Amino acid sequence: MLKTAFFTLLSLAIAIGGGGGSVWYALQAQSGVGAISIGQWTAFPEIGTQDADPYSKARVAREGVLALGKAEGLSFIAERDAAGDELQRQCDYKIEGSFPTARFWTLYAADQSLGVVDTGKPRLAALQSYQVLRQPDNSVIIAVGNRPAPGNWLLTEGFGRMYFVLTFYDTPIASSTGLSDVTLPRIVKAGCNA
Amino acid sequence: MRRLLHAILLGLLGAGIVHIVVLLLVPEFTERDAWSRLAMASDLYKMTRLDAEAGGAPVVKSVDPLFYAAACRFDLAEGMVRIKAPGSVPFWSVSVYDRNGHNFYSFNDHTATGNKLDTVVLTPAQMIDVRRELPEDLQGAIFVEAPIEEGIFVIRAFVPDDSWKPTVEQFLDQSSCELQDY
Repeated sequence: MLKTAFFTLLSLAIAIGGGGGSVWYALQAQSGVGAISIGQWTAFPEIGTQDADPYSKARVAREGVLALGKAEGLSFIAERDAAGDELQRQCDYKIEGSFPTARFWTLYAADQSLGVVDTGKPRLAALQSYQVLRQPDNSVIIAVGNRPAPGNWLLTEGFGRMYFVLTFYDTPIASSTGLSDVTLPRIVKAGCNA
Repeated sequence: MRRLLHAILLGLLGAGIVHIVVLLLVPEFTERDAWSRLAMASDLYKMTRLDAEAGGAPVVKSVDPLFYAAACRFDLAEGMVRIKAPGSVPFWSVSVYDRNGHNFYSFNDHTATGNKLDTVVLTPAQMIDVRRELPEDLQGAIFVEAPIEEGIFVIRAFVPDDSWKPTVEQFLDQSSCELQDY
């Protein structure tokens, strides 16, 4: 009798704990269903629409996200550099390459919650395309780090994990056809001051 | 031993079912979605700033740091809602969301007449009424037909650098979100 009760309880514990825990885990992960990856960058073009998968819908509801509409823009998030290492706030990076067609884009360094990194200075950890210097071939090289750099400089500060969020506004790539042959800039680690 | 294995297998099967059920119930029961957060911050038909710049923590997450944003909640069951914002800024875009935060319509300043934000959100039934006789002052407005009742309207405006802050702030502060009499 006691054994039966024990096994029933065990089953229930696995079912509820495992079920709830796996949902929580799936909603924490940055990648997942409905993601499109280009190089190190990941986007969720369907997020926040009726066509989104149940995981995206749950994430939208739980985090109170109001996702960008298709006529507004599309966000890409990077959590690793070209070598596959996690992005760190104490490291310097170089973001280089060409950017797809858009009216303009913004790039910012984000913390775990995808809010902009707090630099503690008047300068934001963000850049936008109207203010960047371009190479002769129209590509862009951006130095990321906590020390000023010539050319384009994205200020970061502090320690721990970091994400880059690159958002294209009023862009044809937000419509479903445009994503196949898009190339995005590479993220290369330049060094760490550990 | 066999009974232990049996119990574990049964538990894993149950975990799968619980996983699906919880996943589908999260949007229904969450109190942290955009609507609930906005409801805590302000009333219906009231433009509320979403970004942290206006003081306090940001109401809704993942707003670009180079953007200012404002949102208002509306209920089409009470009538159609008109959103206006005077002035011109480098870029603005708007989105209409349903109660669950699903985006179903968006457009930007290139779509609007003379880059002016003047929009009416209404149900298909209200649209039929309006079409019959279009009021004079609605001539230039963009009509968004929405098969919903409760919804959220969001305006996002680009702040290229610090010098634009006052202009963009004014643009959002002067934006209105009102029940339109018809």
